[in-house]
Amino acid sequence: MRNILRKEMKLSASILPYLFVLFGFMFFLPGYPILCGAFFATLGLFQGFEYAREANDIVFSALLPIAKKDVVKGRFCFVCLIELCTAVLMLIPVILRMTVFADAVAYRSNALMNANLFALGTAFCIFGLFNWIFVGGFFKTAYKFAKPFVTYIVVAFLSVGVFEALHHVPGLGRLNAFGTEDIGLQILLLAAGIVIWLAMTVLSLRRACEDFEKIDL
Amino acid sequence: MSVVEVRGLVKKYPAFTLQDVSFDVAEGRITGFIGRNGAGKTTTIKAMLNLVHPDGGSVVYFGKPLAENETEIKKRIGYSTGTVNWYPRKKIRDIVDVVKHFYDTWDDRAYRRYLALFGLDESKTPIELSEGMKVKFNLLIALSHKAEVLILDEPTSGLDPFSRNELLEVFMELKKEGVAVFFSTHIISDIEKCADDIVYISRGKIAAAMPKSRFAEEFSKPGESLEDTMLRMEGGAVHA
Repeated sequence: MRNILRKEMKLSASILPYLFVLFGFMFFLPGYPILCGAFFATLGLFQGFEYAREANDIVFSALLPIAKKDVVKGRFCFVCLIELCTAVLMLIPVILRMTVFADAVAYRSNALMNANLFALGTAFCIFGLFNWIFVGGFFKTAYKFAKPFVTYIVVAFLSVGVFEALHHVPGLGRLNAFGTEDIGLQILLLAAGIVIWLAMTVLSLRRACEDFEKIDL
Repeated sequence: MSVVEVRGLVKKYPAFTLQDVSFDVAEGRITGFIGRNGAGKTTTIKAMLNLVHPDGGSVVYFGKPLAENETEIKKRIGYSTGTVNWYPRKKIRDIVDVVKHFYDTWDDRAYRRYLALFGLDESKTPIELSEGMKVKFNLLIALSHKAEVLILDEPTSGLDPFSRNELLEVFMELKKEGVAVFFSTHIISDIEKCADDIVYISRGKIAAAMPKSRFAEEFSKPGESLEDTMLRMEGGAVHA
């Protein structure tokens, strides 16, 4: 798996998935739908898929002395790596906004979602959607990605809208906790987001391995 | 000794069927796989590499079925085509630096030797290579991990006569080293020049699979060239 991941990082990926990780820092922005940072990071990954397709990466990989399912696993590993790197960058503003900037006016007067641990959990949900809808959808053909990508865009934007506005729903105000308020709940919601991401990724990987095995390249 | 045994391959498409394709590839021999465009050469080769799933039949390498031993077998074979660019904008050096880790048998000295022999520049990218050099690049990778069988899909297509000749001479050198070379082509003179065995496919069926000398004895009329024989067998207009 180390070899196939090395291939993904050095040959299959373009520079954009790496650069778009920096959108994780959008969690610093006040008065902006910060969850778009997670969406933009997946746009970089999407561009990486395009680049790999133009480089005939899938057939090249299938000719390597590895099982066909390892081609799929390698791509999933790379996607998860980029997502985790983005999440780590998001964690930096989350920690700063929970501590140093906990009372900053610009953040307190923000009508949109606050960058807390719940927000980080929702970013994992967006990543899970990408892995489920787009990455899994791509491996049905290993060539066509318009349909899974458009589907992902629609679902992701709706999700961003819902997550950003959720704390305005009566009774859900605690989701927008500032500083270390409701820290137990925040940690729980982050954990829930990570579990959702893991579940969507693992299920999508299984489905993608089965689909890819059936494809004639 | 057969290093590849293809038995009863069947692959059905809506407009084309590969029917009961069977042949052997022998160690240290060059096998030419010939047939007109659309005869089923690439489909057969893809089935031999597990890139397409046959509806029937089997492919056995070194006495082991491909389906159950894919990883092990792929370490011992090499594939090349001149018509596809792998990672067209990456430097050869960077591609090789990744690929070599997949092979326990990778030999850096052999890599350097073939790099010099083929006149390849590591700092070039595949898109900067001619069609012939692309084939050599693929051969370079295959030979550096000591592939015992080379499966080459139309390696001479699109090459000028000089480059084709040069490549065929490389095949003959590899044969001397005990490598089994299996290459598809629609250029009959390639077969005449270097093949020991012929696998002739026509409309998805194997029309003949035998040593080249026997093929001439069985199918050629007196004074008829291999090209004329095949054109006649294909139903083309051949005149004496």
